[in-house]
This record gives sequence, structure tokens and C-alpha cells, in this order.
Amino acid sequence: MSMILLIEQVLNGLQFGVMLFVMAAGLTLVFGVMGLINLAHGSLYMIGAFAAATVAGMTGSFLLALAASLAAAAAAGAIVEVVVIRRLYARDHLDQVLATFALILIFSEGTRWLFGSFPLFLDVPDWLRGPVSLPGGILYPAYRLAIIGVGLAVALGLWALIARTRLGIRIRAGESDREMIAALGVDISKLYTLVFALGAALAGLAGALVGAIQSVQVGMGEPVMILAFVVIVIGGIGSIKGALVASLLVGVTDTLGGVLLPVAFAQIMQPSNAMLVGSALASMLIYILMAVVLVVRPSGLYGARA
Amino acid sequence: MIAEKHLNWLISAVLLAVPVAAWLAGEVYTVTLATRVAVLALAGVGLNLALGSGGLVSLGHAAFFGAGGYAMGILASHAQSYQPLMEWPFLIEGTKSMPVIWLVAIASGAISALAIGVLSLRTSGVYFIMITLAFGQMFYYFAISWPAYGGEDGLSIYVRNGFPGLDTLQPIQFFALCYALLIVALVLCARINASPFGLALNAVRQSAQRVETVGLSPLRLRLTAFVLSGAITALAGALFADLNRFVSPTMFSWQTSGEIMVFVILGGVGRLYGPVIGAAVFIMLEHWLGGVSEYWQLFLGVLLLGVVLFARGGLIGVFARRRVGHG
Amino acid sequence: MADPVLELKDVCKSFGALKASDHVSLDLRAGEIHALIGPNGAGKSTLIAQIAGSLAPDSGSIHFDGQDVTHLGPSARARLGLARSFQISAVVPGFTVAQNILLAVQARAGRSYTMWSKADDMASDQVARWADMVGLSDRLGAAASDIAHGERRRLEIAMALAMRPKAFVLDEPMAGMGTEGVSAMTSLLDPLRLQAPILLVEHDMQAVFALADRVSVLVYGRIIATGTVAQIRRDPLVRQAYLGDEA
Repeated sequence: MSMILLIEQVLNGLQFGVMLFVMAAGLTLVFGVMGLINLAHGSLYMIGAFAAATVAGMTGSFLLALAASLAAAAAAGAIVEVVVIRRLYARDHLDQVLATFALILIFSEGTRWLFGSFPLFLDVPDWLRGPVSLPGGILYPAYRLAIIGVGLAVALGLWALIARTRLGIRIRAGESDREMIAALGVDISKLYTLVFALGAALAGLAGALVGAIQSVQVGMGEPVMILAFVVIVIGGIGSIKGALVASLLVGVTDTLGGVLLPVAFAQIMQPSNAMLVGSALASMLIYILMAVVLVVRPSGLYGARA
Repeated sequence: MIAEKHLNWLISAVLLAVPVAAWLAGEVYTVTLATRVAVLALAGVGLNLALGSGGLVSLGHAAFFGAGGYAMGILASHAQSYQPLMEWPFLIEGTKSMPVIWLVAIASGAISALAIGVLSLRTSGVYFIMITLAFGQMFYYFAISWPAYGGEDGLSIYVRNGFPGLDTLQPIQFFALCYALLIVALVLCARINASPFGLALNAVRQSAQRVETVGLSPLRLRLTAFVLSGAITALAGALFADLNRFVSPTMFSWQTSGEIMVFVILGGVGRLYGPVIGAAVFIMLEHWLGGVSEYWQLFLGVLLLGVVLFARGGLIGVFARRRVGHG
Repeated sequence: MADPVLELKDVCKSFGALKASDHVSLDLRAGEIHALIGPNGAGKSTLIAQIAGSLAPDSGSIHFDGQDVTHLGPSARARLGLARSFQISAVVPGFTVAQNILLAVQARAGRSYTMWSKADDMASDQVARWADMVGLSDRLGAAASDIAHGERRRLEIAMALAMRPKAFVLDEPMAGMGTEGVSAMTSLLDPLRLQAPILLVEHDMQAVFALADRVSVLVYGRIIATGTVAQIRRDPLVRQAYLGDEA
């Protein structure tokens, strides 16, 4: 295998990884601050993608489409938080799982009702179409490179938000001591709505960005959300830094595994069998990674020791 | 308590009477619906052992349901193509015999549950939920990417597997088998709940620390319950595959895990007959609402949300309470 | 003299710069009540956690019943016969008093994985016996979450007794009790030492002085003195570090 192909795959892995991070960051933030497990996070991803595809179809502007994805997902997040989610904070995880599972059904079927079962398409904007040449003579799609850039910018932005702003101080306080923050006179329910909407907006953004390279359809969110769970388990619940490291690890492992394992097995067995065993094993690779982390560090790479 | 016991008898009787009456009236489709209820209820009974008695919120029970389904699919497909499963080091042939398939399904569910349980029970709470969900997804992707048994398309079995002395192609006879297995599983779970193991498991759910101080290992108790739970759900998976004469990766999907959990919750967590009521209501909704609207799951979502937010004892809770009030 | 039932040698445990256990050596001998006292923050809870097995020491060893248990977890130590009670009552809240005791009885009998027989058939006489010993005979059917604080403490003692342990480790069994409760608990614990020796962590000095055969004083993670009640009362170090503050 050529070096160029390998670097391309690493970049693909990074692109996949940063999108997972944008998903996982919202999930882990919501869990860290409110103690809530939200299965409907994938629905917000889907809502962002549908909003973007719709607005892009109407206006032809990709930037407006991205803005729409952020706005639609944030709005959906805020509404859901106020109507349903805030009744769940004091409940046990089982109730949270069920209620948010119900939300998935409602969002998925509602979207299918509005948009039908056929996938929508969201085009990569003209100004990001085509490849860019990277040092070393590598040609890489500009759009995917842009995704990596956006993902890293989100990581940086989140870090700045949490480390440098008043909102961030409140979020950190909320993670460590809920009563304290209420005692300080912070309107906790407003803070929760804000954090939830922020996580939702990130999920929506991820949905829109990925929607332009895959199709926009009902059910697109849940597989990504489950991968985001894997990321959180590996990174440690509530840790943004852990989410970033684990996302990139999962993204690169999954992408490279799919390419390299069949090649590796071809060294020791017939090509057709190698393809078979290699790709089957590659499909399990990140879960194996998760299992290894669980054995070595049950609370995740950056999780607080239980 | 007594009211709930009577309700349980009533549910058992209705679940038996409806398909028998439908069969006498020649309405085969209703018999099939009742069989679906019995099989899905059995899957829920399995989950209920982990979830209700053990407090283990597993979102990965599709792994066991699918393992049972594929146990059936693989054995039966080898039998129908007359290709042995394995020739070396010893010969293993496919089979169309239900009792053998059931045993293999139970074993594969138990082994999968042991493997997943050993890893995921190292954690608890929200981690456990996410990890079981992820491992379920691993089985799903593996089934898709392994082409030998149909890959994404799944496997079709042309003729339903056989049971000695019965004609399983007769819907009512196949229903009887499924119903009998459901009752056996319910009796088993009732005995377990009342047994010393049930007491210890119940204690672990409430206070793992207390259980440790009397010298029991919470991990071993939970793992035992998880394995039993996976085995029962896998048996249901084998029956489900036989009912449809078809297995596909969908059996492993996260939606399947979610639906099995919905059966348990709709009926009432930790209540012996909760999964039976839950599965019955689910199938009836699917049947009736599905006839009214293509988007019936939207209404299912709203109903489920309502139950979680406002009727925490599930449907049995609602009925059992009402009965007490009348009595 | 016979080997001690429980023996700690040079046990150390630090949390960052804080030395919670600083070369603690301590033993518990057959037939005695050995009280462990010390001001708040002295490291008593940390030490108990290490004895029970929920916290691993950084260095040093713990022997129980002639066996090195330093690396065993809490349930393994309990199986060897180490019964403990908690500072904050830990009973199974949704169970009745009888079910709580039964849990310990069946664990002791090794029957906790029996699935086919009924749980309450097997040991009601034993449950009744342990309940009687702690004066809870008329409360067997009450939910553990509903009984009074003092009753819950006694239920914990009954569960410890049902394990027929080789040693008790009781973490502040008198905490939160009124004078009457303390004297009732004192007379309950007094004869227990004949069944198995007791390591008693307690704040109530009157109870300690009434019960203890020996007393160890823990200050800043170190045992500064061990001796009879009389010796401890006289010990200048103790008076300075501990009793001195109160007097």
C-alpha cells in the first residue's frame, strides 16, 4: 500500500473522528452537567441535516444551510428540554433511556411523515468542491479538510467556552455541585436549557456537515450516536478532553482498520478469505478497542476514578 | 399482590383463549399475531430478569435475541443445503429439530451474555447502558459484514423446523409450543424471584455494598442473572426466527433492544407478567395503528413517553391498582 | 498467647500529601473488645475501609484468621468471617427486617445461588434467633426503611451475627443514638465478644470506657497509644493530643 493512500486514510479517519467528537461533546456535556443519558441525541443530528438540506434546497446557500442546522437543532433541543427532558433529571437512568427512546420514535416518524422515506441530498458547496493539494503531492477533498477544520474549531471553541467564560464557570460548577450553584443564585433551569441546546446545536451541525457527504435520511443519527457512546466510554464520561482523544482514536482506528486489516490478513491467507475475515474483524475493531479500555481503565481514559 | 396474581392468571388465559378461538373461527392471522406476542413476551421475560430483578439496564439484548435467531438460521440453513457446519475435527451437521436448535440458541445466548457481561458489569449506571448498546451494535455490524450467512440480506429458511409429534406448520401448534415455552419461562422466573438467589439479586439492586458485607460478590450475582437473562432472550430469538422463517441483522439492531425494553416497561418493570402485557399491547398497537397510519410508531412514542412520565408502574400497575380499588 | 484474629502491620495509605494511615500496626485478639478512638479526621474511616477490603493499602499487610488478606476484596474477607457494620446504616431498604437477616443467613450457608427453592422456607428459625438476640423479634415483618434508627443499627448487628463471624468490625454503632439507645447497644455488644472479638470504632467515650478491654488512639493517621482503659486515661500523649483538648 502506498504512503499516499495511507495518509489519505488517516485524514479520512481524522475527519470521521472530529465529527464523532462534535456529537460526543454534546452528549458528554449533557451527562456531565445534568446527569442525563440522552438517546435522542442522534435525532438532533438528523434534524440538523434535514434543516440544512431543506434550506440549501430553497436558497442554494450552504452557509445559510449550516446556520439553519444550528438553529433548528438548538431550537428542537431547547423545546424538548423544556417539555420533556427537565422532568427526567430527577429520574433514574432507566426512565431517561425510555423517554429519550420514545423521543427517537417521535422524531424519526415525524420526520418521515414530513419528508417521506426517500433520502434528501445536500450538495457540497462549489467553493469546497474538488481536491486541495497537500504537501507531499497528496490530493485531498477540500470539503473533508474543511470538516476537520470545523471540528477542531469546535473543540477549541468549547475549550475556550468552558475555561474562559462565565457560562463555562457555571457549567463546571454545575458538574461538581448542583446545590452550590443554585445557592449562588444561578438560574439552574435556564442553564440546563442552554447547555442542552448547545449540545443539540453541535449535533445538528455535525448532521449537516456529514449530510453533504452521505445522504440525509431518517435513522441516520442513531449509528453515529452509538459510536459517540463508544467514544464517551473510552474517553471517560463528562470529559471533553477525553471525548476529543477518544473520537480521534475511534475515527482513525475504524477507518484504518477497514483498509489495513484485509491487507494484513492477505499476508497469511487467501485474498478472498482475507477480505472476508479482515472486513468482519474491522467492523468489530472499535468495540474491541472499547473492551480493552474497559479492562484496563473501567472509567475511561480521562474519567474520574470510580 | 393477590390482585396482581389474579390478573396474571387472566392474562395467561386470554393469551391462550384468543388464538384458540381464532383458530376455530379460521382466522389464521390472529393466531400468528398471538404467536408473535408469546415470542416477544418471552424475549421481554428474559430482559426482565436482568432489568427488573437485577436492576441492569441492558440496551443490548438484541445481541442475544439475534444470537438465538442466527443459531436457528445457521443450523437450519445447513440442514436445508445438506452441507455440514464443520467437518474437522469432528462432524457437525445442521438440524431442523427445534429442541436441538433451542438448546444451541440458549447456549449461544448464555455465552454471548457471559462475554458481554464480564466486560460491561465492570461498570455500572450510565456506562453499563452505553456499553451494552455498543456491544449490541457490534453484533449487528458483524452480522452485516459476514457474508457466509446472508450478510445484510439475512437468511431464509424454507420450511419451519420440526418438533417431535407436532406439525409445526400448523399455526396453532406452533403457537402452542411458543406459549408453553413462555409459561415455562414465567414459572422459572417466578421461582427464581422467590428463591435465595432472587433475594440476593434483589438485594444487589438496592444495595450492592450490603451484599458485599455479607460475603457475596455483586458481580457474580449480576453476571449470573445476566447470563440467564441472555439465554431466555436467545430462546425467544430462535422462536422468532422460526415464526418468520427468516433471520436478518435487524434482529441485532438497537431498535430491537429498545423494543424488547419497551415490552418490559409498557407492562411494568419487575412485574412477572409485565413483558406479556407489554408485548401484547405493542402488537395490538402495531396491528391497529399500523392499519390507520404508516407512522404508527409516532403514536407508540407518545404513549411510551406518557407511560414513563405519568404511569410509572406500567400498565399492570394501572390495572392492578384499579383492581385493588374495586376489591 | 494465641495468634491475634486480625493483625495489621505497618499499614500505610496516602491521599496525595495527606497520610491517612501512617504505619498503623494493630491487632485484635480472641475474646476482646478493642476500641479504636481518635478525633475527627484522624483516619479511622480510611483504616476501617482497608480492614474491610474496600480500600487497598499502599504498603503494609493485613492478616485475618492466620491468612494474608491484604489483597482480598470485601466480599472475600466477609466470607472468611469478617463482619462489619457501617457508620451510616447499610441495610437493604426495600426488604423487611426478616429478609435482611435472611440475606446474611443464606450467604453464610452458601445457598445464595439456589434458584428453585423458596427463600423464606429454609431458615426462619435462624432468622428468628438472630432477631431475638438483638431484640427485633416483634419487628420481623417491618420494612427496613421504616424502622427507627436504633432498630436499624441493631438489625445490622443481627446481620453481622448471622454470618457467625470470626471478628466484628463495628464503625460507630452508637452514632446518632440517644442516651438510652447507647446503653441498650452497650449491653447488646458486651457479651458479643465471647462469640467473636470486636474492633469497635466509637466516638461515645462512655461506651468505649465501659466496653473496651483495650483502646488504641489514632491521631493524624498514627496510633499514638494502645493499652487498657486505665493506661490510656493516664497516657500523657493521649491527654495532650486528644483528651487534653476536651478537658
